Amino acid sequence: MSISISYQPTWLHQINPSFKLLTLTALFIGLLFVHNPNFLLYMITGIVVLYLFGTGHRWKVIGLLAIPLTIIFLSSSTTMIFFGEGEQTWFKFGLIHITEESFYRGIHLGLRSMVFGLLSLLFALTTRPVYLFYSTMQQLKLKPKYAYSFMAAIRMLPIIVEEFQTLRQALKVRGVQYSKGMKGMYEKVKLYAIPLLAQSIRRAHRIAVSMEAKQFSKNNKRTFYYHLGYTNKDLLFFLSLVVWLMISYVCSNQFTVFPVEYVR
Amino acid sequence: MRKTLTLTDILITIVIAFIFSVIYKLWGPLYSFIGILGLHVDQLIYGMWFMAATVAFLIIRKPGIALLAELAAAQGEFLFGGQWGISLLLYGLVQGLGCELIFAMYRYKSYRLYVTCLAAIGAAVGSLLLDVFYGYIDSLALWNLTLLIVARLVGSILITGVFAYYLVEALDKTGVTKAIRPVSNDDYQRLEDEMR
Repeated sequence: MSISISYQPTWLHQINPSFKLLTLTALFIGLLFVHNPNFLLYMITGIVVLYLFGTGHRWKVIGLLAIPLTIIFLSSSTTMIFFGEGEQTWFKFGLIHITEESFYRGIHLGLRSMVFGLLSLLFALTTRPVYLFYSTMQQLKLKPKYAYSFMAAIRMLPIIVEEFQTLRQALKVRGVQYSKGMKGMYEKVKLYAIPLLAQSIRRAHRIAVSMEAKQFSKNNKRTFYYHLGYTNKDLLFFLSLVVWLMISYVCSNQFTVFPVEYVR
Repeated sequence: MRKTLTLTDILITIVIAFIFSVIYKLWGPLYSFIGILGLHVDQLIYGMWFMAATVAFLIIRKPGIALLAELAAAQGEFLFGGQWGISLLLYGLVQGLGCELIFAMYRYKSYRLYVTCLAAIGAAVGSLLLDVFYGYIDSLALWNLTLLIVARLVGSILITGVFAYYLVEALDKTGVTKAIRPVSNDDYQRLEDEMR
C-alpha cells in the first residue's frame, strides 16, 4: 500500500522542522492568553492566505482538509454560546440561555480552534516526518533511540493497515456474525484489536532487537544521513509571523469587528 | 530490574501509541459531531484519548511509558493532520503526566484494575486543567460544568480504566506480553527454584 500526494515544494518546506515546531508551540501557548476575538479574526485571515497559497498542494487536497475545520468551529463554540454564563440575555428557552457575553466567548473559542487547526494543517502539509525527526536529533538533541523509534513506527503503519484489511476479509470469508448493540461492538473490538495489537507488538519487538544490534540506540559520535541546519527561510518565517502578529494587534485596536475586547 | 527505557521499550510503546493515534484520528470527527448536540454527551467518549497511556503502561510496566505513549499518540495524530493541531501535544503532555503521577504513587508496581481507573482519573483531571485555559470551561453555567466533569470522569474510568485493563488482560492470553515485560522478582524466584 502506498499513498503519494504530489506537491510543489514551497519556502515553507525549507524551514527547519524543529524550529517550525517550537515556533508554533510558542504561538499556541501565547494564544492561550489572548482574550480578544478581534485579534484572532485578523490573525486567522493571514493564516488562511498562507494555507491557501503557501503549502504548494493541489486545490482538491486543500479544500478537502478544510471541511473538518467548519465542524470544529461549530462544536467548540456551540456549548459556550448555549450554556455559558453572562448577564445580557438575548434568548432563553429551557436549558438554553444565550447571553451577549457567552455568545462572543463562544465565537472566540471557535476562532481559536480554527487558528490551531489551520496552523497544524500548515505544519503537517509542509513537513516531512523524516526531516522532523532528523532535525530534532540534530538541533534539539533528542536521543537517537527515540527519534529512530518514531521513524520505524511510522514505517510500520501501512503494514498495520494491510493487516487490518486482511483480517476483515478473513472474518468475512468465515461468515462471522456479530450480536446486536453494545455486545456486538465489544465482539468486534475483541476480534480486531487483539490480533492487530499482538501482531504489531511482536513485529516491533523483532525490529527493535535488530535495531539495537545495529547500534541505532548509540548516543555519541553519530553521523546522519540527512543534515539539517538553519537557513534564512527560518528568519523570514519568524519575521513574517512577528509582523503579522503586530498588524493583527494594531488592526484589532483600530478596526473592531466584534463589540467586545475581553471575553474571559 | 532494569528501569531505564531501552530502544525495544520505546519502539513498542510508540507502535502501540500510533495504533491508538489512528483510532484517535477517527474518533475526532465523531467527537466533534456529537459535540454539536451540546449537553456534553461527547464527554462520555473523551476517555478514549487517554487509553494509549494505560494500555502501554500495563503492557510494558516501566516508569515513563505512560507519558511517552500519550506524547507519541498526540504526535501521531498531529502528523496525520488531526484537527486540534498543536494543542494536542500539550494535551498529551498533561494527560500523560496525570497517568504517570498515579502510577508513580504506586511505585510502578501495582497493575490492578483500580490503579488503572485512578490513572484514568489522573489523565482526566490533567485535561480539565488545560481546558480551563483553552476552553474557558470555568465560565460555563455551574450545572453545565458539573455535567461536563462528571461525564468526562465516567467516560474515562470506563474506557481508559476498565476497557484498557481487560484489553491488556486479553492480550496477555496471547502470550505476546511475556517477551517484553521486565523480569520481576517472581521470575527470579522461579528460576532459583528450578536450579535447586
